[in-house]
Amino acid sequence: MSATAVSFSGVEKTYRRPGFLGARYTTAVKDLSFDIPAGEVTGLLGLNGAGKTTIMKLLTGLLFPTAGRVKVFGHAPSEGAAKGKVGFLPELPYFSPQVRPGEALAYYGRLSGLSGAALALGVGEALERTGLEPHAGKRVSEFSKGMLQRLGLAQALLHKPELLVLDEPVSGLDPLAIHDIRGLLAGLNAEGRTIFLSSHSISEVEKLAGRVLIMVKGRLAATVSRAQWEAAPGGLEAIFVEAVK
Amino acid sequence: MRILRLIRAVAANSFSESVRHRFFTLFFVFACTAIYASVLAGVMAVDQEARVLTDFGLAFMELTALAYALFNAASVLPKEAETKTIYLVFSRPVPRWAYLAGKLAGSLLTSALMLAVMGAMHLLLLKVRGFGVPPCYAWALAGSLLKLSVITSFAFFVSLFSTSAVSTMVISGVFWTAGHFASETRFLAEQSGGVKAGVFKAAMWLIPNFQLFNTRDAAGAACALGPAAFLSAAAWVCGAYLAALCLISKKEF
Repeated sequence: MSATAVSFSGVEKTYRRPGFLGARYTTAVKDLSFDIPAGEVTGLLGLNGAGKTTIMKLLTGLLFPTAGRVKVFGHAPSEGAAKGKVGFLPELPYFSPQVRPGEALAYYGRLSGLSGAALALGVGEALERTGLEPHAGKRVSEFSKGMLQRLGLAQALLHKPELLVLDEPVSGLDPLAIHDIRGLLAGLNAEGRTIFLSSHSISEVEKLAGRVLIMVKGRLAATVSRAQWEAAPGGLEAIFVEAVK
Repeated sequence: MRILRLIRAVAANSFSESVRHRFFTLFFVFACTAIYASVLAGVMAVDQEARVLTDFGLAFMELTALAYALFNAASVLPKEAETKTIYLVFSRPVPRWAYLAGKLAGSLLTSALMLAVMGAMHLLLLKVRGFGVPPCYAWALAGSLLKLSVITSFAFFVSLFSTSAVSTMVISGVFWTAGHFASETRFLAEQSGGVKAGVFKAAMWLIPNFQLFNTRDAAGAACALGPAAFLSAAAWVCGAYLAALCLISKKEF
């Protein structure tokens, strides 16, 4: 395994919005450079519009950088070799309401290249790990927000990815669901998986991450390690507030 | 082999989602009602009842399947982007060409199922009225399916740049209508001169000739679809697919 899971080097992303009187351009991230070491939990903090989701999408090949270079385990994010190692949980994942969780997972498992016994095993394990096994007979339309988020996590875990990219994994969840998901992520990290998560919740990131990137208006304002925020008066929250002010 | 499995997975998922959608049921019920209503027209036709029943039924089936195919093709890709389902697909090692092929295959399978079930209902109705299977019936259905294949592929392409599902359906509907006037366009191209002739000639190249797929009016062995019909449909489907692929390859989500 490469020592660096993700590498951003001088990355810029500008969105083009076509309009009646010509296109408008908005720069979402600019001159962005950072590395995520393999096996580490890295958090991404920032206010709304700071560029967090853009970074997640650049990393998963859903967006292409306007300038600079993104590498995932040494490959471009759009390459199959990179995508096969990544599990992505977008914010508020959607699943067809008529299907059962096993059917939804089987579909995404097939897209990840699983088939036969490996697919059945992967689906069973993902349901078990995310605590959805007792709800396997229900349709997705009967799921609560927390259960949908668990299903989202389950689809990201199906193919045992080396890197998990999680956009707001605990957004809108109740305290018990947050506790369970935190435990699951800690367990996955203990297995050696790299986790990159964005969140609005400083306390959640503080509990999970070993290092935090703070984004301000599309630029990386600070990179803070656990030792730094543990030594700082006011902890990570004080550092974050100082950075975004 | 892996790619084929991927295409099959996307197609099967697209097919089952479409069939489970309430609009599929609504269109299906509407088609069955319309086919049944053709009995009234058949009764009024007195000695031409079989002919009228057959023609009305096939026309209703084609129009209903067209409306459904347009609705489905115009909304399937934008809906996946809107609900972010596409994030879960394209963050996996799924080539965009394979995804597009799977989605298209799923939509065509749905149209084929709709035509097949409506066809069975129609034949049952004819049998109840005491008539056998009309000549060229299978060819008529095959012709409708080829038309639906062309219009579905075209709607897929349009949906990737159009601003809404409604505009995709309108543009595709105009394309469908214009495609049924190919011989008239040719006549106008021959009769006109200058710029007008150029416009009509360009239209002949840019719009498929849907009359090639009409077998309902033909009689006897002449009703069989010729190789030109299959080749034309294949060329238009491939052309629309490649154009859609160009757009989706560059598209960001």
